[in-house]
Amino acid sequence: MKPMLTVRDLHKHFGEHEVVKGVDLDVSEGEVVVIIGPSGSGKSTFIRCLNSLEEPTAGTVVIDGGESIQAGNRRALARLREDVGMVFQDYTLFPHMTVLANMTLAPVKLKRASRADAEREALALLERVGLQHKADGYPSELSGGQQQRVAIVRALAMKPRLLLFDEPTSALDPETVGDVLNVMKGLAAEGMTMIVVTHEMGFAREVADRVVFFADGRIVEMGPPSQMFTAPKEARTQQFLHSVLH
Amino acid sequence: MDFDFDYLLAQWPALLDGVLMTLRVSLLAIAASLVIGVLGGAARVMKIPLLAQFVALYVELIRNTPILVQLFFIFYGLPAIGMELSLFWSGVLCLSLWAGAYQVENVRGGLATVEYGMREASMALSLKPIHYFALVALPIAFRTSLPAMLNTAISLLKNSSYLQAIGLAELTFVAVDRIATDFRAIEMFSAICVIYLALVAVLAALTGRLSAHLQRPFQH
Repeated sequence: MKPMLTVRDLHKHFGEHEVVKGVDLDVSEGEVVVIIGPSGSGKSTFIRCLNSLEEPTAGTVVIDGGESIQAGNRRALARLREDVGMVFQDYTLFPHMTVLANMTLAPVKLKRASRADAEREALALLERVGLQHKADGYPSELSGGQQQRVAIVRALAMKPRLLLFDEPTSALDPETVGDVLNVMKGLAAEGMTMIVVTHEMGFAREVADRVVFFADGRIVEMGPPSQMFTAPKEARTQQFLHSVLH
Repeated sequence: MDFDFDYLLAQWPALLDGVLMTLRVSLLAIAASLVIGVLGGAARVMKIPLLAQFVALYVELIRNTPILVQLFFIFYGLPAIGMELSLFWSGVLCLSLWAGAYQVENVRGGLATVEYGMREASMALSLKPIHYFALVALPIAFRTSLPAMLNTAISLLKNSSYLQAIGLAELTFVAVDRIATDFRAIEMFSAICVIYLALVAVLAALTGRLSAHLQRPFQH
């Protein structure tokens, strides 16, 4: 499998406090990696380093065999974002813009597409998630689940090679979680490379190619869901899974 | 009571000239103060070195000195160092600088309410900082700041009456000038009070419509 993401010895400090303590991770093209772990374990900070919302203190990140991006190289870090899309817990749609304008803003401003092409693609993406009738609506007119589906297709409109999800269903009403997870399953089935931080163990079990257990700023253990959920090796993993699954 | 409406009717053309001058000077200064507010507010929020400190100093200077002193400084002080402006442009400059300081604070307050998530979302979409500022942060902040901006604009309109002190023929100057010859103080001051009230009401109504239009995306 072609490597899509290579992370080596990634560290992130906030002042004296070390939040990510040397992480190595390889993700292949089309792979779905689900990161689980207790709150405050550094998993969100880790994926935020992958599109340089946080600047790593040390380590390297390589996307799709491209330039090796060293911590401290701000310009190269910023370029990372072009290939990496991100979906946030709280949707972060621009409230003053229609759904369509939210989706076309970046492709048009970054000269990826003409406005007409960007709108055509946005409408096609909206149709895929069943929201084409909301194109001219504002975010405040949508439910949380609908907003999150728009946030996903807004990220897709930039044609990312890697899509990051930071607890995408944590802020949702239980009845809309399923709609968002279904969209994510669809993307996984189409071969999108995804890294998902989530507490949805059902999703991890069903969709993940690999489950990563993160605790105390490190990867404690990783493996296919069949192994991770039935026979985890590390005591820390067993303890965590015991508390969330029972 | 001796209140002579016929006198006021006869003075209407002079009052109208005064109103037009008040409007010209005020509208130009409102526009300029908004430009100062957006640029100065941006400089402060984005902490642009030197510029941010300069803006902070400017705001403090304007807010903590009397507007009449600022006016005299511009009209009598600046020519002494070779910067002579016409009566009209002295008035526009004074009101613009005065209101601009308050608009900086209004814009800054609005920008402070924009959630950090908006910035992160813009970064994640690879938008440039200038795109984020102009197309995301400022439009969102503008909605929050609009009532405060209107208050400043109304204060500017009212403060345009200070310009009579340098002899600009705006509404208050016209009234005082007429009173000096005709001694009809109660008629004249009543008339210009009503006119100022009407001008402020129109300004508030226009802003109210703009605000309602801008708030539509948020009302659900």
